[in-house]
Amino acid sequence: MTLHRRTFVKTAALAGAAALAPQVLVRTARGADKNRVVFISEESNPKAIAVYDKINADFEKQTGIKVAMEYPGFANIAKRVATLIAAGTPPEIVWYGAGQAMNLALENQLADVGDVLKSVGGVADNLRMVYKGADRSIPTSQQFTYGWYRKDLLQQKGLEPPKTWDDYLKVAKALSNPPQMYGCIVPSAETGASTILLETMFMKNDVHWFEWDANKKQYEVALDKGDQRKRAIETLDYLNELHKQSPEASTFNWAELMSTFVSEKAAMSYYVGARLLEQVMANNSRIADATAPVELPRKLTESYYLSIQGFHILDKANVEGAKKYVTFFLKHPDVISWYHAVPLHIIPASRDMLRSAKYQDHPVIQKRMDVLKFLDSVWTKGVPLYYWDGKELNPYIGLFHNENLAGWMLAMRNIKGMKSDAIVDEAAGQVRKKMRRTG
Amino acid sequence: MSARSERNAWVLGTTAPALVFLAVIAYLPIAYAIALSFFKKTAFNPAMTWVGLDNYRYILEEPDLWRAFWRSLVFTLGAVGLQLVWGLVSALLLNRALRGLTVVRSLFVLPYLLPSIVVALVFQWLLSQEYGVVNQILMQTGVVTRPINFFGGLGTAMWSVIGMAGWQYGSFATLLILARLQAINPKLYEAARVSGAGPLRCFFDVTLPNLRTTLIVIALLRGIWMFNKFDSIWLVTHGGPLKATETLPIYAYRLAFEDFDFGLAAAACTVMFLVLLVGALVYFKLFDPTREIEVGR
Repeated sequence: MTLHRRTFVKTAALAGAAALAPQVLVRTARGADKNRVVFISEESNPKAIAVYDKINADFEKQTGIKVAMEYPGFANIAKRVATLIAAGTPPEIVWYGAGQAMNLALENQLADVGDVLKSVGGVADNLRMVYKGADRSIPTSQQFTYGWYRKDLLQQKGLEPPKTWDDYLKVAKALSNPPQMYGCIVPSAETGASTILLETMFMKNDVHWFEWDANKKQYEVALDKGDQRKRAIETLDYLNELHKQSPEASTFNWAELMSTFVSEKAAMSYYVGARLLEQVMANNSRIADATAPVELPRKLTESYYLSIQGFHILDKANVEGAKKYVTFFLKHPDVISWYHAVPLHIIPASRDMLRSAKYQDHPVIQKRMDVLKFLDSVWTKGVPLYYWDGKELNPYIGLFHNENLAGWMLAMRNIKGMKSDAIVDEAAGQVRKKMRRTG
Repeated sequence: MSARSERNAWVLGTTAPALVFLAVIAYLPIAYAIALSFFKKTAFNPAMTWVGLDNYRYILEEPDLWRAFWRSLVFTLGAVGLQLVWGLVSALLLNRALRGLTVVRSLFVLPYLLPSIVVALVFQWLLSQEYGVVNQILMQTGVVTRPINFFGGLGTAMWSVIGMAGWQYGSFATLLILARLQAINPKLYEAARVSGAGPLRCFFDVTLPNLRTTLIVIALLRGIWMFNKFDSIWLVTHGGPLKATETLPIYAYRLAFEDFDFGLAAAACTVMFLVLLVGALVYFKLFDPTREIEVGR
């Protein structure tokens, strides 16, 4: 067989085109397919997946639209969404934290979902995420950051559940007997667990990262100014005192935070929601009844760090199909089983639903009505980070939150021993530098 | 068409699919990453804005990049050094005619076959400050009075990570060194012994010169792999505490998936690539491995 050079070049070019064609075809096909939606969900609990399967099958039967699911998990979902967008094949729906979804809104990737919200009965004001005058999130559930403590250990020492900073420190000291038992846990690492602890405690002490400049109509860094700086330093110093009653915790992530409490190494801990209780029930039922919720200690405010999860619809592909699906999902009778997948952890966005007999008709919830009552009592006190510094959506929170800057601050104070004032000044400087880069 | 042209066309025709495949799988992503480093590109928007050398200017002025570079060097030199020592010692021990040695040799290779996640979990458990066996033993024998925070301590994290990588990948060195040891002509040892050389003299005058090529190849390969190592470090420390184990790959990963700045991350990766390229060029200039291997024969 004779192969001319020209033929070879043609063959090589064809082979190259063939290798690239599938990618182009996938992008084109996905954009054009009105009978398919890609849905990425953060919740990968097997019970939740079973509910998705059931509702998706019903949806396909009724509308002919197939729902393709992906479950990358809590730690990877933002990366998965980012890489799909970068590849030009964005999903239609993402169910995850509204704080993470805000990054998409700022890049004009999220559709206006006001019509969906209206059709499912609206949403409480503190759960909305509004950008460029339109709702960008359909909240389904929420989680407060709060403490958990061992009732039995406090009772043995004749102590009351702590409410104020002084109380909390006193109880932590009284219960601490290292290395067998620590009074509390103050993770001090560049992790989500440390970051949310400091961000929550900043809220309790009314510390703001930014302030709204009405003239410039934008947020400016406030952390190192006047009273904010004073209170930020005070908060770091307080957590440094608490850290003395904690394991060193310089590598602690959420799993270690839970395992230390579950294995009875700490008398007080905290979590975003009730997953810690779920883990105690599953792995150490002996202390399950003695594990009770408590507010993280307050100083100037009773505000709670609020995480909101919901559906987010991307603006680039099958928007109508996605809206139909979300509406169908939220009105489906089995949606209650979805809320029951991790009972008391995924709590509904609607207070009416929380108080409904249908929601409360679950053995774990029935057994732990004290947790439900606690959640009901703090219902209006939650503030999402992006509205903590003002009424306008704060587009800059990712500059400190995504990088776990608050965790870095705690680690610098508790592990490296740096002075709080220098830490606050450096943190503010880092945020300003990033603001200049992002423009 | 002449026979020569026909032959050339055949050669090109048969290698073309592999070349195209290589270009698409290997060179296209590299080219894309380098191109990306000249754009401002956030992770949440497919649009890109040309910024020229701005990304390079920004990261080259960042102290974090240089600190990460320095840590990469420390990690690479530490881990490769440990692997060479571990590989050499274990290969010398295994290069003997003893019963059951085949089984022992297989056991030595085992760590290299384990997935990084398994090794990371095992080491986390072994060295845990709260539950770790190592701390238990150290406490019970009175060596320390307080448990050591191996992966969480500012002064211990890097050494712990180096130790873990040395243990896991030392077996690779063991395999190569052992293969070379077994190829050394026994007559060289006989001649040395006849000349009055003891075991130590035999090692320095016969064994080590014969291993030179192998050791150089191991140092190069493992050096490149360790400099690019991401998973082992990420799994146990996430680059912490306080960036104490944040090497260049982790720094670049953070830029991409925590800052969601793909342009900057691509610039950091290109810098990493250039560092390795310069290192490799210097290596080839100094050691000329082709010639080394010829001598080694």
